[in-house]
Amino acid sequence: MTPDVAEAQNQSGPEGARPGQQSCGGRAPILTTHALTKQFGSLRAVDGLDMEVCKGDIFGFLGPNGAGKTTVIRLVLGLIHPSSGYAEVCGHRVPGQLQGALRHVGGFVDDPTFYPLMSARRNLRMLGSMTGPVSEERIDEVLEIVALADRSEDRVGGFSHGMKQRLGIAQALLHSPELIVLDEPTSGLDPRGMKDVRELIRDLGAAGTTVFLSSHLLHEVEQVCTRAVILTKGRVVVQGPVSELRPQNDAIKVLTGDQGRAAGVLRGQFGAAGVVEDEGFLVVKADEEAVPEMVRRLVADGVEVRAVVPASEQGLEDFFLELTGTDAAGEPARGKKRAGLARLLPGGRR
Amino acid sequence: MSAAHGSTAGDMRGHRWGALRREWIKLLYQRRSYLIWGGAFVIPFLIALALYLAGSDPHGGEGPLFFERITANGMFVTLASLSALIPFLLPMAAAMVAGYMIAGEAELGTLRIVLLRPTRRGAFVLAKWTMAMVYLAVGFAVMIAGGLLFGGIFFGLHPMITLSGSTVGVWHGLGLILLSCLYALAAMSCIVSMALLFSTLTDSSLTALIATIVIYIVITVLIQFSYFDWLRPWVFPQYLLEFTNFFRDPIYWRPILKGLGVFALWSGVLTFAAYLVFRRKDVLS
Repeated sequence: MTPDVAEAQNQSGPEGARPGQQSCGGRAPILTTHALTKQFGSLRAVDGLDMEVCKGDIFGFLGPNGAGKTTVIRLVLGLIHPSSGYAEVCGHRVPGQLQGALRHVGGFVDDPTFYPLMSARRNLRMLGSMTGPVSEERIDEVLEIVALADRSEDRVGGFSHGMKQRLGIAQALLHSPELIVLDEPTSGLDPRGMKDVRELIRDLGAAGTTVFLSSHLLHEVEQVCTRAVILTKGRVVVQGPVSELRPQNDAIKVLTGDQGRAAGVLRGQFGAAGVVEDEGFLVVKADEEAVPEMVRRLVADGVEVRAVVPASEQGLEDFFLELTGTDAAGEPARGKKRAGLARLLPGGRR
Repeated sequence: MSAAHGSTAGDMRGHRWGALRREWIKLLYQRRSYLIWGGAFVIPFLIALALYLAGSDPHGGEGPLFFERITANGMFVTLASLSALIPFLLPMAAAMVAGYMIAGEAELGTLRIVLLRPTRRGAFVLAKWTMAMVYLAVGFAVMIAGGLLFGGIFFGLHPMITLSGSTVGVWHGLGLILLSCLYALAAMSCIVSMALLFSTLTDSSLTALIATIVIYIVITVLIQFSYFDWLRPWVFPQYLLEFTNFFRDPIYWRPILKGLGVFALWSGVLTFAAYLVFRRKDVLS
């Protein structure tokens, strides 16, 4: 399957094709944006954005600093008004039917913030009551989920950043919304906290809740998300299943007890040009399906096989750098592999 | 689950009261609220104590309004406090409370989490305005209570002699004090609305406070000059002390009603402007 490539939309004008719009297959879209644009003075922060999140997705929202991720979230949640275009959230048009949309959405933008002199419980009671009645049992439940039950009566002003992040997730969960929007929810958490939050997001997804996860941690998106969009300069560069955003490996590294003898065996199987040496490894030009036969031959020839690993370590991060053309610090990304890009973009566009 | 939170008419009514209740709770969780209320209680005490220790009016009848009457009747402590506070400290308190209402939440970062809940921005502004007024009303109530308590302790509560020379009973006098405070509260609604407007224009509560006070001072100074006589009928500071007309016999209603009309105009226009600004405000804080 080819991921939806939204670059075309930016070249076809406001009424242009929206490749992302057919991506849900049999599932209903829960969040869509339609030529969503936000202009701040001379800066076009979001530029004709068309994006689709399907029900049940754990949707990764990726982009370098300044790509417009948080602006998009603010637009979708009605915190700021679009210069043109609109979003549809749970069947409600935003900004026109914002109140209807927000009844089905939970989440936070930037760091979640609370009333510092109130307890965690009081904050949840206060925020929860804005959507509708919320029981003390439900408050207990969400505090339990985010492992803050034992701090429920403590003032939030004394909470660490990580605890506030978790409380932010708790308030997002209060009304069991259909869609949860989380803006960098693991930011500032320790590794254990990150792991817990990711597990929680996976659990939410497994329970059928759609999660929209903005993150600059590419491996987080790889680990947690089912689909993702990559945004740069306010435009969607590519969107699709995360599994297809990661380029396939086209080479295998082999380490044996006798590299010379192994090279002979492998050259017999893959040809002389198909096997090269690289930093002590033998790099074999072959896909993963060739591995069992390769190992069988080496073992049959009496070669001790110590390691067989993918030669290409290009993951979503490399792919992301290729697409956005910058690294996290805004420096141009040079000399990156383009194999995945060629496969994913229409007509091999580079 | 979210469908369970559909908006029945009962829910919506509960929601409206809920908005006011939430704003009230927020005020109760701010330390400055108690400082100002504490001040409203202490000031009548200080005035009464000072006059009690002095033994008579220290200004020989030339001091602030009603001061010369306190030593004869503790009922005047509240009115003297009101006269002393209304030119500056009350506007300052009103501007501080209302200026914080939206800009303070933006500063704290809670505005963006609150607005992710299904709250209409118009209702939000109205709830903020209402609670700022309720807050001030509590301040006035505390000041009345303090005035009567300390006035009673130091000088006793007696029938009041009005500015026209007639005498009214203690309960009648108390009613006039209440009316005076309600009038002053109406005057403060102009400051509240102005501060709320600035509060929607900035993400700094201090900026909202300063902008409001600067404009209030500029207007107050301008109307001191005869060149700006034409301006006087239209600006609210001109009418702040008209509550004294409640203490004429009969009550001199004309300036009071004129003042209330001007307060309503300023307050209405400024609050509506605050709503218009906030309705389209991009929350970037």
